[in-house]
Amino acid sequence: MLQNAGLFLILAVLVGCEQSPPVFHASESPLRLSAWNLFDLSADSLNPAPQTQVFRPANQLFSDYAQKLRTLWIPNGTQASLVNDEIDYPVGTVISKTFYYHTDESGALIMSPESIDRSIALDNNRLLETRLLVRRNEGWKAFPYVWNEDQTEAFLRVAGSSQSLSLKSDIGNLDFVYFVPNENQCAGCHVTNHPDGELHPLGAIASQLTANIDYPAGNGTSQIDDLIARGWLNYSPEQATPVSWRDESAALEDRALAYLDMNCGHCHNPEGTADTSNLILDGNHGQLFSMGLCKPPVAAGGGTGKLRYGIVPGQPQQSILLYRMQSIAPDEMMPELGRSLPHSEGIDLVNQWIAQLPGSCE
Amino acid sequence: MHHRIIRSCSLGLLLTGVIACSEQEPPEPEISFEESLQQQLIQAQPGDVIQIPSGTHELTRGLSLNVNGVTIRGEGMDTSIISFANQAQGAEGLLVSADDFVIEDLAIEDTVGDALKINESTNVTIRNVRAEWTGGPLTTNGAYGIYPVQSSNILIDGAVAIGASDAGIYVGQSTQIVVRNSRAEYNVAGIEIENSTFADVHDNLTTNNTGGILVFDLPNLPVQGGRNTRVFNNRIINNNTSNFAPEGNIVGEVPAGTGMMVLANDSIEVFDNEFTDNDSANVMILSYFITERAFEDPDYDPFPESIYIHDNLFNAGGTNPDSAPLQALLEATGEDIPDIVWDGTMVPGRDVGDILCLTDNADASFVNLDADNGFATPNFDSTAHNCSLPRLSAISLNIGAE
Repeated sequence: MLQNAGLFLILAVLVGCEQSPPVFHASESPLRLSAWNLFDLSADSLNPAPQTQVFRPANQLFSDYAQKLRTLWIPNGTQASLVNDEIDYPVGTVISKTFYYHTDESGALIMSPESIDRSIALDNNRLLETRLLVRRNEGWKAFPYVWNEDQTEAFLRVAGSSQSLSLKSDIGNLDFVYFVPNENQCAGCHVTNHPDGELHPLGAIASQLTANIDYPAGNGTSQIDDLIARGWLNYSPEQATPVSWRDESAALEDRALAYLDMNCGHCHNPEGTADTSNLILDGNHGQLFSMGLCKPPVAAGGGTGKLRYGIVPGQPQQSILLYRMQSIAPDEMMPELGRSLPHSEGIDLVNQWIAQLPGSCE
Repeated sequence: MHHRIIRSCSLGLLLTGVIACSEQEPPEPEISFEESLQQQLIQAQPGDVIQIPSGTHELTRGLSLNVNGVTIRGEGMDTSIISFANQAQGAEGLLVSADDFVIEDLAIEDTVGDALKINESTNVTIRNVRAEWTGGPLTTNGAYGIYPVQSSNILIDGAVAIGASDAGIYVGQSTQIVVRNSRAEYNVAGIEIENSTFADVHDNLTTNNTGGILVFDLPNLPVQGGRNTRVFNNRIINNNTSNFAPEGNIVGEVPAGTGMMVLANDSIEVFDNEFTDNDSANVMILSYFITERAFEDPDYDPFPESIYIHDNLFNAGGTNPDSAPLQALLEATGEDIPDIVWDGTMVPGRDVGDILCLTDNADASFVNLDADNGFATPNFDSTAHNCSLPRLSAISLNIGAE
């Protein structure tokens, strides 16, 4: 009897030290990220567990030029379904997003174009945080884990954290405070319907996953097909792939609206927290006034930048929308959360779009 | 014997395994006061009381609460102070989206944006809370001091709001509201009720603001049709601070020296107030057209209607108006601006008595600005307004605290 127990323990320990499959924690969230078994940190790199699917949405939120590695995991024996053509994930689903920066030989963080990595080598990258979105019985829950200095573990920081970073770029060093959101701030974006108060995934949704992982580059298979191949989904949603704001062959307006949808639409939608302003930026409703065209501000405070309208056609520099994208003052900048730096590429895109809009506000 | 060997062997292996694992266990991070406070707010359960000890607590990130039924309680608005003078993140000091919320006996100071914002919440009690920008009235101050929006059953009692670059106490797009026993000083707007219904604003002191009490209804908002507000027993005194709102905001168009302004709101009863030394005018009743702002909103009613002003005490005022039409009027007449100013606009064919009634305001003076005709023929005769309107009902809130 004892003998068997001993052997069982040995096996358990050995498996625990190597790599067990991911674990769904149904109620208490562990303090250490390693307890989820989503990653293996061997061979000087962060490797997603083979049971997880690395994915990348068609459009991505700007996060101070951080690189992102996203994984999706659905427990064995469960399956997602389509409800109203949207993916409804089963209880136990764990979505992760790890934020990191490339580093140079000296270890300094460097700004670099988005790279689509399947694992993160620790000799030329620095891990900052891993955010989890976990589908529990009572709904989605968000958990921010912050990597330690030694890059050996990430710890749950319910209240978020912050650190000063310096990012090497073509235009010199960008010094800023990098903020890890607290759990309520996670909800600030992921609660897309404010009255119902429920968190929802923003990237691992049907329309975003119809793209191939390198979208708009490459011509690989739809990531939906990857889910189907794993047996996580039975059939494809009938959703069009959103225009990528990065796709220079697409129409300027489509790109700008796709950018605003991904970066603003989670709050600025008819049911979102920012509906108090009646500025609606979640895409294709065709109402330019609601997108800010000649619309006076409501409660913008200093966020007006002394300007009168959200968008003044043909005059980006007279448009509050662009002013708030350019600002880095906490009470003025948009989005309010998730960035400390202005996103030059996004600003250029919206600038170009406003510049060619016809008409005037007078 | 054989058995024993295997067993001790397995124990040895087991230990090795445990040691190998525990050697990799890195230490846990330390948690600051700020992080611990935010953690309490996140992990709170309904019924919890979160205490803010006395002292000045310097925070760098905005706080937020999403759990229903929580009370945040300090030891007094002058002793438990949360200071955001070094705030680096967050558009608010404290952002609440939670029902059955109580906050009392503390101060929130020097936030970069709004001090206390409450969004989409039901049953909100804000009692003996001070929201202040300590550097005085500055354009760089945050917009709103105490700011419930899209909420219902709101009690603001014994609050103090100082220095907001928009409104000190601002209730927007809400219903069932009581603002009482509070003091608003050195804000652009002292107390503002906007796009809201069923509010009682009483027993407050508003002084040294740009405008003392504003009741507005604005177009192009998801909640419209502002009406049914009673403003009574307030002291509205010396609201002559230069307008310091950031340009582009509608409140930036309020003239310094405004005692009370009703803009496009309906069914407003103003009584038993004291108006003293508001240098543009003690009371203004205006349509949205006065702002000269375009609006595209077929459902919007830009005219104020059913405004009943009675039994108020008017002392001096209107001596130094901060508005071109009022200045022109003062120059033309050589007299102070009358106590009660109506821009004179209304839907054609309406009876003046449906728009504005004035009774028992002692010897209050009046002017109809004739704004429709470019202010051509101001009319100082209030005879047409010698009428009364049905009294509005008192607000009774369904919250335990009432």
